Amino acid sequence: MHTKYLTAIKTTFSPFNARSGKTARNFLALLPPNARSTMAIDVKMLPKTKAGETATLELKFKDGKEMNLDLSKMKIRDIQVEVDRHSRMLRRAEDLSGN
Amino acid sequence: MPPRIPLQPQQLRPSSSTQYVCRQCRNASVASATTPAPPLDQTIHAAAPIARYPPTQPPSYKPAEFRKTQLHRQYQSLLRSSQLMLVFQHNNLKSTEWMGIRRELAVALRKVDEELAQKGIEDLVGNDAKLQVVQTGIFASALKVVEFWDPHFAPTIPGADAPDATDPKTASSAVMSDIKPSKDDKKIAHGLSKQAHHIAVHRAKFMRHGLEPLISGPLALLTLPTVSPQHLKAALSILSPSKEIPAPKRKTNPGYHEPAVQNGIQKLMLLGARIEGKAFDLEGTKWVGGIEGGMEGLRGQMVAMLQSLGAGVTNTLEAASKSLYLTVEGRRTMLEDEGKGESEKKPEGS
Repeated sequence: MHTKYLTAIKTTFSPFNARSGKTARNFLALLPPNARSTMAIDVKMLPKTKAGETATLELKFKDGKEMNLDLSKMKIRDIQVEVDRHSRMLRRAEDLSGN
Repeated sequence: MPPRIPLQPQQLRPSSSTQYVCRQCRNASVASATTPAPPLDQTIHAAAPIARYPPTQPPSYKPAEFRKTQLHRQYQSLLRSSQLMLVFQHNNLKSTEWMGIRRELAVALRKVDEELAQKGIEDLVGNDAKLQVVQTGIFASALKVVEFWDPHFAPTIPGADAPDATDPKTASSAVMSDIKPSKDDKKIAHGLSKQAHHIAVHRAKFMRHGLEPLISGPLALLTLPTVSPQHLKAALSILSPSKEIPAPKRKTNPGYHEPAVQNGIQKLMLLGARIEGKAFDLEGTKWVGGIEGGMEGLRGQMVAMLQSLGAGVTNTLEAASKSLYLTVEGRRTMLEDEGKGESEKKPEGS
C-alpha cells in the first residue's frame, strides 16, 4: 500500500467487532514505522458495549482529497485497492511535473 | 545271579590321571537347538516392556522439534501461569522503541514493588512481568486449548488400571498393551497431544472465550502472574496513558518523554485484557487498574461491609428481645409501685 501521499487518518472502531475492528486494525498495522511524523493519526477505540456501532475510517491525501471508507462492507484488500488507485494518480502527476 | 564283587570307595572315585568329562555339559550346548522357536507373530509384533519415549517427553500431535510446537507449549504455560494479561497491537515498532518501552515499564513496576515492600507486602510481582510479542495464530490455538480442554492435572495412581511401563516396580515379564510411541494413544493427554487438539478444535465451534475478535494482526502481551491493581495501574500509565490513569510527568520521569519511547507508545494500542480467565475491554481494564489500595484494599472494603452488616443484623435481632424485656420490666416496676401504694393506703383506710 502506498502511504506516501496520505496526510491524515482518522478512525473510530471497537476492537471487539470481529469485522470492522479487524479491518481498521489491519489498516493501522500497514502504516510504516515513521507514519506518526509524516501524517496526523487519530485513533479512537470504542468499548465492548459499542461493538455494534459503525466504524469509520477517514483518509486525507496530499492533494486534498478525502476518502470516507465504509468498514462494514470493505475489507483490508478493498481499502488497499482504493488507496493505491488514488496514490498512483498522485505519483504519476508528480512524475510528469518532473519533481 | 552274578557274583558279588566287593567295591572299594577308592575305585568309585575317578582317578586323578584320567580327565573328567561332563557329558551333561557337553550336551547342553546342543540342547538349545531343539527348543521350539517363538511364534512368528510374537517376534514381529511383541514389544519389550520398556517405554520407547522418556516419561517427560510423550509424543505430541505435531512434531516436537518444530518451532511452532514449542511456541504452542510456551504460550499454553504462559496462559496457565499468568492471571493478568494485557493484549496490545503493535504497529511496526522499532527495536529501539521496544527497548525504551521495556526499560520504562521495568522502572515503573520496580517502583511499585518497592512501595509495596515498605508496607510489608513482598510479592515482587513486577519482577515477573514480561512484555513480549507473540505469534498470533499459534497464540490463538494455545488459547483454545487452555480454555476448552481440561487437562486433569491430578496425579494418577500408578498400577491402578494397567502396569506402567515407566514404573520400575513393573515386572519385566508384564504384558504391555501399547508401548510404542503413537500420537493416537488415548492415554497420552498433554497440552500438545492429539486429544487436546481435537477437543479444543471441536469445542471452539460452539464455545466462546471472549477474546476471539482481538486475536488477529500483530499482537504483544504484557503478563503478570497475579492480579495486582497497583502494578496494572503503573503499567497502564506507561503503556496506554489516559485521563483516569495519566502518564508520569516530565519532571518526575524524563526518560519516559524521550522521543524513542514516545513514538513507540503511540504505536502500541491496548485492545483488551484477560483477567483470571475472563475477557475485559479497555474500560474494564482501566476499572481494574483503578481499584484503590489493590487487592488488600478491596478485601478491607469487603470486611468492613460485612462487619457493618453483621452489626446491623445483631442489633435488629436484639431489638425485639430488648423491647420485650423493657416492657415487662416496666410493667413489673409499675405493679410493684401499685402494690406498695395499695399496701401503704390500706393501713390508712382500715
